[in-house]
Amino acid sequence: MSVRLRDRDSAIAIRWIPKYTTLERVLHWVHTAAFLPLALTGFAIFAPWLSDIAQGAAGTHIRLIHRVAAIIFGGVPVLYAILQPRRMWMNAKEFLSFGKYDLLWLKGAFPYYVLGRHGEMPPQPRFNTGERLTAVVLVLGTIVFGITGLTMWFLKGLMPAWLFQLMLFGHDIMFLITFIMFIIHFYLAVIHPMMWQSLVSMRFGVVSESYAREHHALWYYGEKRAKEMWEAHQAAHKDQT
Amino acid sequence: MSDRLAMYIDTSKCMACRGCQVACKQWNDRRGYVPGERETRNTGSYENPLSLDPETWTRITFHELDDGERFQWLFLKEGCMHCTHAACVEVCPTHALKYGPHGIVTYERDLCNGCGYCSQFCPFHVPKLEVINRLTGEAKSSKCVFCQDRTTNGLKPACVKTCPAGALDWGERDGMIAQAQSRVELLRSAQGFAQANVYGETQLGGLGRIYVLTAPPAAYGLPENPKYPVMAAVQKVLQPLGQVAFGGTVLAAITAWIIARRNVRMEEVE
Repeated sequence: MSVRLRDRDSAIAIRWIPKYTTLERVLHWVHTAAFLPLALTGFAIFAPWLSDIAQGAAGTHIRLIHRVAAIIFGGVPVLYAILQPRRMWMNAKEFLSFGKYDLLWLKGAFPYYVLGRHGEMPPQPRFNTGERLTAVVLVLGTIVFGITGLTMWFLKGLMPAWLFQLMLFGHDIMFLITFIMFIIHFYLAVIHPMMWQSLVSMRFGVVSESYAREHHALWYYGEKRAKEMWEAHQAAHKDQT
Repeated sequence: MSDRLAMYIDTSKCMACRGCQVACKQWNDRRGYVPGERETRNTGSYENPLSLDPETWTRITFHELDDGERFQWLFLKEGCMHCTHAACVEVCPTHALKYGPHGIVTYERDLCNGCGYCSQFCPFHVPKLEVINRLTGEAKSSKCVFCQDRTTNGLKPACVKTCPAGALDWGERDGMIAQAQSRVELLRSAQGFAQANVYGETQLGGLGRIYVLTAPPAAYGLPENPKYPVMAAVQKVLQPLGQVAFGGTVLAAITAWIIARRNVRMEEVE
């Protein structure tokens, strides 16, 4: 895919590389549309200072919205597994493969994302360490929310009280983790100036060639060449210092 | 002296007539046996219904105790204990359950959203959830409120007023404790109930029900030393902690953005 931008006497051709399928993008936004009401309605029950809006019929409706959104939230991965099982499997494998570059990413994240030092970021595959951590937390969250939420929904009063209390605790803890992850994800994917194409890719499904080179070198160049380039870069950096 | 009121329950005088159950239903407009709609079940005991439920805020439980020396048929008036440290109040996200006047744990049905946390955190398993629709989650909690409409107007709870055996009384908590202690003294010294004891004076910071028991609490199915649920305390820590964590993350993101704006040169951004 390419887009041609013309000015008076020259042409710039941008090569766009597909990153997400249409279904993945649609499901991502459906997931977001389910996550936000889930988080907000959950927060209304969680935060004591919001008790005024959690009361009576309003509170009952808040709990109903939470349930409806939960079904959509849980339905998204199921739908993905049914419609594009091979893509899902491929992504799942990528999400779970962590290596030495991930430690370097964690080390380089602050100088790179906050101080804008480009050289400190090791090559990354199609999903960088942060994206993969978000995905892992989200998968873990879906499982924990699913188990704790469904048992509290359907087995309240039918299971021992201590078990219900434990389920509520698990639900709350997972909420804290996923919501903090969501804030970070939102910041990096939507607000951060260097990551502007991540929003583009979730809208149009593509990233530019130059963006892929910069942010996903392992994916763009392949493992061997990306590694060589990184090592050469490191050696040059060492010589300078 | 505190203005806390309490219910005195002398199980040695209770004859299990269950007038209190009926008076409670009558005053609080709770349904009893409704043919075809609310059936009752007999399981070989006089105990009926089998547990507290949204329509039954108090009931008499029956226990048989044979300790080798004498046989006792024990009757216990069950219902909300109106604890000083009430887990139900602490976990209620709507303030439908509150510490009301005179130490009464009050309940406002209109404020309840049916989450049911109270029913799951009460150490005595008292609040019962009236599940209207399990799928939508529509429900209302329900429990004894010491006839808050009567007692806040200087009247006795309906059950106390109706008790024909004089087993129930209502008044200042300190007075009820003194009355229970002297009754226990009498039961021990003159009537041969060596194990007679007062229950409710100290449990969970002091209960709103002061029981005179003729046998150890366990014989009545009462927890000897009821505990405030650990998870309720954890929730109280988790709630502020979570909000600080959310706020901190947002603040960190804003700060990072301000710094990044200065440092990132957009002409270098791919």
